[in-house]
Amino acid sequence: MAQHETYLLDRLEHDDSHTLDRYSKTGGYRAIEKILKEGLTPEQVIDLVKRSGLRGRGGAGFPTGLKWSFMPDVAKDPRPRYIAVNADESEPGTCKDRVLMERDPHGVIEGILIAAYAMRVDTAYIYVRGEYRFAYDRLLGALAEAREQGWVGQHVLGTEFSIDIWMHKGAGAYICGEETGLMESLEGKRGHPRPKPPFPAGFGLWGQPTTVNNVETLFNVPFIIDRGPEWFAGMGSEKSKGNLLVGISGHVNTPGVFELPLGMSAKTILEEYAGGVWKGKELGAWIPGGSSTGFLPAHMIDLAMDHDSLKEAGSMLGTAAMIMLDEDACVVRAMEVMARFYDHESCGQCSQCREGTEWLHQIFGRIERGAGRLEDIELLTSLANGMAPGKTICALADAAAIPTHSIVKNFRHELEQHVEQGCCPKRRAPQLSGTTA
Amino acid sequence: MTKIILNGEEVEVDPTKPLIAACHEHAENVPMYCYHPGLSPVGSCRICQVNVKIGEMPARTVVACRTPITEGMIVDTEAPAAHDARRQCLEFLLKNHPLDCPICDKAGECDLQDYAFAEGQGEGRSVEPRRKLEKRKSLGDVILLDQERCILCSRCVRFFEEVPGKPQLTVADLGARSVIATFNDRPLEGNYQGNVADICPVGALTLKEFRFQARVWNLKKTRSTCGECSRGCAITHEVLRGNDIKRVRPRFDPEVNQYWMCDRGRFAFGALNRTDRLEGAALRVEGGYRAVDPTEALETIADAVRTTETVAIVASPWLTLEEGAALLELARSLDVTPSVVTLPSSSLADDLLHTDDESPNRRGLVELGFAPKDADVARAALAGADVAFLVGERGAALLGVDELAALPRSTRLVLFDETPHPAAYVQLGVPNAAERAGTWVNVDGHHGQIAAAKPAPAGVVPLERHLERLATAFQPAGGSA
Amino acid sequence: MNEHANNPVDEPVDEPQDPLGAKLRAEFDELIKHYPEKQAVLIPALHRCQEDLGGWISPEVMEALAELLELEPVEVYGVASFYPMFHLRPVGKHVVGVCHNVSCDLRGAEDILERVCQVTGAAPGVDSADGRWTVARLECQGACTSAPMFDLDGVYHENLELDDVERILGAVESGNEPN
Repeated sequence: MAQHETYLLDRLEHDDSHTLDRYSKTGGYRAIEKILKEGLTPEQVIDLVKRSGLRGRGGAGFPTGLKWSFMPDVAKDPRPRYIAVNADESEPGTCKDRVLMERDPHGVIEGILIAAYAMRVDTAYIYVRGEYRFAYDRLLGALAEAREQGWVGQHVLGTEFSIDIWMHKGAGAYICGEETGLMESLEGKRGHPRPKPPFPAGFGLWGQPTTVNNVETLFNVPFIIDRGPEWFAGMGSEKSKGNLLVGISGHVNTPGVFELPLGMSAKTILEEYAGGVWKGKELGAWIPGGSSTGFLPAHMIDLAMDHDSLKEAGSMLGTAAMIMLDEDACVVRAMEVMARFYDHESCGQCSQCREGTEWLHQIFGRIERGAGRLEDIELLTSLANGMAPGKTICALADAAAIPTHSIVKNFRHELEQHVEQGCCPKRRAPQLSGTTA
Repeated sequence: MTKIILNGEEVEVDPTKPLIAACHEHAENVPMYCYHPGLSPVGSCRICQVNVKIGEMPARTVVACRTPITEGMIVDTEAPAAHDARRQCLEFLLKNHPLDCPICDKAGECDLQDYAFAEGQGEGRSVEPRRKLEKRKSLGDVILLDQERCILCSRCVRFFEEVPGKPQLTVADLGARSVIATFNDRPLEGNYQGNVADICPVGALTLKEFRFQARVWNLKKTRSTCGECSRGCAITHEVLRGNDIKRVRPRFDPEVNQYWMCDRGRFAFGALNRTDRLEGAALRVEGGYRAVDPTEALETIADAVRTTETVAIVASPWLTLEEGAALLELARSLDVTPSVVTLPSSSLADDLLHTDDESPNRRGLVELGFAPKDADVARAALAGADVAFLVGERGAALLGVDELAALPRSTRLVLFDETPHPAAYVQLGVPNAAERAGTWVNVDGHHGQIAAAKPAPAGVVPLERHLERLATAFQPAGGSA
Repeated sequence: MNEHANNPVDEPVDEPQDPLGAKLRAEFDELIKHYPEKQAVLIPALHRCQEDLGGWISPEVMEALAELLELEPVEVYGVASFYPMFHLRPVGKHVVGVCHNVSCDLRGAEDILERVCQVTGAAPGVDSADGRWTVARLECQGACTSAPMFDLDGVYHENLELDDVERILGAVESGNEPN
């Protein structure tokens, strides 16, 4: 196994990694202490994060320091301002934020403290998906400890810096992971993404300046402050710095969440970390970064796992949630499951998405059951082109269109086989498809 | 105002409104479903796609209802990319639409039907079964919901939130399972429910009262003013084959009612379709009435006035300004100050449209010089006179049909009204509010026009004609009164 | 209507019951302080109601929450119906949600679901005849690297083998909570 420097999951070797005691013993809250004691200005903190090259770990890969700098100048715009922590992890294949929240919640909290200091925010909400009860409870417990010790509350370390952090529970809607859907949901509404502009930095929670950051993104920040941006920028690839939590699931021997430098080849991850394809089989297809990033053929497994390499290959890094399909797995079936997911999760505002996700689901279901027509393949492409890119309020329609295009482009032969044989060639029997209750 | 280039021409537009409003002001045909000029824009249906180029950025296809106006922006509503995007959007909207236009009350004025005709592909590409949902769901006394036709534009949801200000509808569930619903299937409440049928861009929300009453293309539409309260909402009377009013709908008036009207006004048209009308003129005779020529009726009135001491004139607040002026002329020639009946304060008054006065022209008549009197005082004035004029539609009803019957025998009641009354000495029929033209002045002083949407009954002529002839009889030239 | 919110027998039956109760109200009063606007409490409050008031959200609860948060009941309904975690109809004593998304599907989620249905006598959309079980298909639960999984009464059970199903469900039924 290739050796590389690690930091994200180091603390997890201890069973009590979630406690303040362990956190403090392993360098915890050192970064916020440094900022407050050395009197770094918020602008200096943002500059450190910018120099580190940290990019958001929620899927879009936007530079974090730049995002923070979009918050309005507090002297000119004294409105209340907020941080919303996006802990609504729900992109299929993705379960890395859960690890951090359950096993190292103080790291998340310290990341929030630094972000709040840098953006002069005094109230943050952690929006945790409702199903993550254990992660929620761990964060709640950690917050109580942090409050007790004075890390969260009024006048942290006796300085002017004050911060409230509140837990907030979602209720099972994927779309609330979209940052404006999250804000609507946090306000107690249906999680309908908002048209942009206006952008959250000017008009976010309750119409006030707001920054939404992913859990893993914030988790990286204390390390950057503590060890310096140059240290951070020394890891990863040219345009994607630092280490990344990569989840690998599906048909592998040892699925799991691994800390890897950005830019490692997918093949290395599959073979050296996930123990290779299970049952001694060959790889059939794979998804690099969560369901929205689409299916790639086995021969592209050499790709480097970073933003730009995958973009060049017509895919995306997304949430770095790799899903592996063995040679006997049916990609059409996997696509049907995905299409069913987007059908279930479309918020229903935009016509193309509401109707299009259902339509794609119906067509893939029909093809998988052996009731497809050859013209359905062109129809799939045409529908996906009608849904995206950029034709709807948010990117959910895009997220359904991308895997659709990827199947037609990379696995057209399998679609044709289904149609010609009148059944799924890999599963033989006509399949019933479920709908999410 | 801000200058933009709209389809190649420089135009000045209002920068406080979204781009789609500017397009519509300049008669560009940009379709819309979720957008309604009287509601906040949400940008969800995605049909109003246009091409916009700002500065050096490449042109983008965007929804016009959520695009702010910026100086110098170049807008192309007919760009192929915009048409493509709209066509694609339309295909998705039609995919589950039941296409039951032949039995849909909205057919003929349906935005989905119209735009499908203009832009549609002519042939559906879906072989999937259409969504089966409830087709006749009652939402109370006024509105019927067809869930299959609904395209989830949410105009109706926003209407209750933003106009009356009390939410009553929601989109329930999500995604393709979304439906419009009330809480716990409760009926809709309040005086403004009918508006959601007007603004529904498809046939999902229809008026129970209008169900299967007419094909809308057979309705003749006449611009008028609502007479059910002193707001005087701008309306349209819609008449089927020159006969009955089948529907009343609000008409946009920025100073009065915007896009809305109340249900009381909307559904009051039954009275305008009454057939038990007073036609022509009639004189009381032993054991009943004798139909007479109006000239004879007017001469009888003139004779009565000439041979008597006291005359009282009471007007209905439904008189138009023009009718009021003619009556005032008559009153002056008789040296009488006319009164106008005032109604008791309405329990339906709200802070949206409905006022506390359920009559349309009190203000106009008082400004002309009529003395406001409530029904009891007006009736006493009539009772104290030898000849008592009660003039205008609904006059007898306002003073009480039974109470009028109890007028002293010495009082000769001269009645100009829509329906006959047994206490009248002479009576002449008048056209109702859908049968004549004129002006009402609303509570704020706004002048609203009414117009004849259908013919008056046989022998019924405009009231002014009678009043003018009568006034002539008392002119100084014709001898001192 | 609300058969699941059993009234304690010693309370007078003619008194109108507060569907929320003093304990939840006290919690919500505290939560309201966390936000600049009351409505933000709605989703957390719906969770707490579902947890404490019989496993589902009744119309009476929605009305009470609307009043508390200065909303119309239809707004509460619109929100509650948007989120799949909220049950707007009564559910069985135990709720099993089987993830059927990609990673779980690849590792046998449909077989797990079939076994769950066999063991419980319930199926997605059809509770068991004895009212003990509700079974649902769920979208991705974030347990992809420990697939397949199900959520039993709010607790994840991961890395499932077919033979685990009967043991785990049997344990909760016999009152021995599985770990």
